[in-house]
Amino acid sequence: MFETAIQTFTSPVVLFFVLGLFAAYVRSDLAIPEPIAKAMSLYLMAAIGLKGGVAVAKSGIDGTVIAALAAGIVAGFVLPLFAYVVLKSFGKLDRINSGAVAAHYGSISVVTFVTAGEILTGQGREPGGFMVAVMAAMEAPAILSGLMLARGAGSKSGTQSTGEMLHEVFTNSSIVLLLGAFAIGMLGGAQGFAEVSPFFEAGFKGVLCIFLLDMGLIAARRMMDSRAVTWRLGVIAIFLPIVNGAAGTALGIGIGLDAGSAAALGVLCASASYIAVPAAMRLALPEADPGIYLTMSLSITFPFNVLINIGLISAFAAMLTGAGGATP
Amino acid sequence: MIETVIRKRIEILADKALQKRVTDAIDRAGITGWTIVPVTSGRGREGHWREESVMGTDKVFVLTIAAEDKAMALAEELAPMLTDLGFILSMWDVQVIRGERFD
Repeated sequence: MFETAIQTFTSPVVLFFVLGLFAAYVRSDLAIPEPIAKAMSLYLMAAIGLKGGVAVAKSGIDGTVIAALAAGIVAGFVLPLFAYVVLKSFGKLDRINSGAVAAHYGSISVVTFVTAGEILTGQGREPGGFMVAVMAAMEAPAILSGLMLARGAGSKSGTQSTGEMLHEVFTNSSIVLLLGAFAIGMLGGAQGFAEVSPFFEAGFKGVLCIFLLDMGLIAARRMMDSRAVTWRLGVIAIFLPIVNGAAGTALGIGIGLDAGSAAALGVLCASASYIAVPAAMRLALPEADPGIYLTMSLSITFPFNVLINIGLISAFAAMLTGAGGATP
Repeated sequence: MIETVIRKRIEILADKALQKRVTDAIDRAGITGWTIVPVTSGRGREGHWREESVMGTDKVFVLTIAAEDKAMALAEELAPMLTDLGFILSMWDVQVIRGERFD
C-alpha cells in the first residue's frame, strides 16, 4: 500500500496536478489559455479513443469484453440511483440538483481514467484496451438516469422535447469524439495507427501533464470561490467514490477481469464526470446549479480520486485477485 | 449632418451552451440580426465565475438592436429564462444610422 502511494505521488502527471492546486491556492497568475485547454481535452479524448480501438482490434471481442461492457452499462444506470438517494437524504439537496449531481457520479471522468491507466501501468497492472470501450459506454446511461430522476419533479425544462434531449446527450462532443476515435482505431488497426502514432503517442503524457496542471488550477479556484457546497455534500463527494470504486472493482473481479482491468472498472465507477455531463446538464436541466455539481465532481472527487482513491482501488484489486480471484 | 434615429440596444448575458435559446427568441421576435461576444469572467449573486470552455460553463453576451415594440416583445419572451437560467438582460436607447435596418 505504501509503495503504491509513493508511485502515485512520484508520477509527473499527478505532480503537475498538485502544482496546479498549489498555484491556485497561493493565488499565482498561472493560467492555461482556454482555447489551448479545450484543444488539449479534444486531443486526449481522440488519443484514448484511438488507442482503445486499436487494442480491441488486436485482442478481438470475446466474452470478457462483452461482460465488461454489460457491467459498465448496468453500473451507469444503477450508480445514479444510489447517489440520488444519498444526496436527497444525507445531502439534503432538492430533487433537481440531486438528479443532476447523481448523473455526474454515475458517469465517468476520462482524465481520471487516463491518469489511473498511467498509474496502473506503472504498477505492472495495465488495464485491457477494451476498458476504453467500457468507459465510452458508461458516459450516456448515467445522464439519462439522472435526468429521469430529476424530471420526476416536473422540471421546467419540459419546453425541451425528449427527442431534443436525447439528441443533445448522444451528440455531445466528447461522446462523439471518443466513440468516433474508437471506431477509427478498430477499423484502422495497428497498421493504421502506426501512421498517426507519432502525434498521438509521443505527445500524450506531456499533454496530459499540462491538462492536469490546468485541472488543478480550475479545481482549486472553483473550490475557493464555492458557496453552494455544504459540508454534507463534501462528505458525499468523498464517500461516493470510495463505495462506488470498491463496488466496481469487486464487480470487475466477479466477472473475471484481470486486476488492472477490474481496478479500471472501479476507477470508472468511482469517477465523476466534469466534461460531458455538465455540458449535457446545462442544456437538458438548466435549473440545476453548476456551482454544486461541478464543485463536487471537479474540486473534491477528482482530486480525491487522483491523489488517493486510484491507489486504494489498485491495492483493493490486487488484494481481491491475490485472495483467489481471477489473475492476469 | 447625418440623420440618426432612436432604437433599443439589448444585451443578454447567457451561458454559451444556451445561447441558441436566446437567438431563437430574437428570431421569433422578428428582429433581423444579433451578435455574440465572448466574456471571460465575472462575479454575481452566485459568486465568481470564469470562462471554463472544457466544462462548458463559459458565458457570452448576445447583442441586438431593434425598434421598441420588438425589444419589448423579446424582453417578455426572455423574462422566464432570466429567473430559471440566471440570464441578465438590459436595454437602453441608442442612436443608429440607417434606422430602417433596425425596425
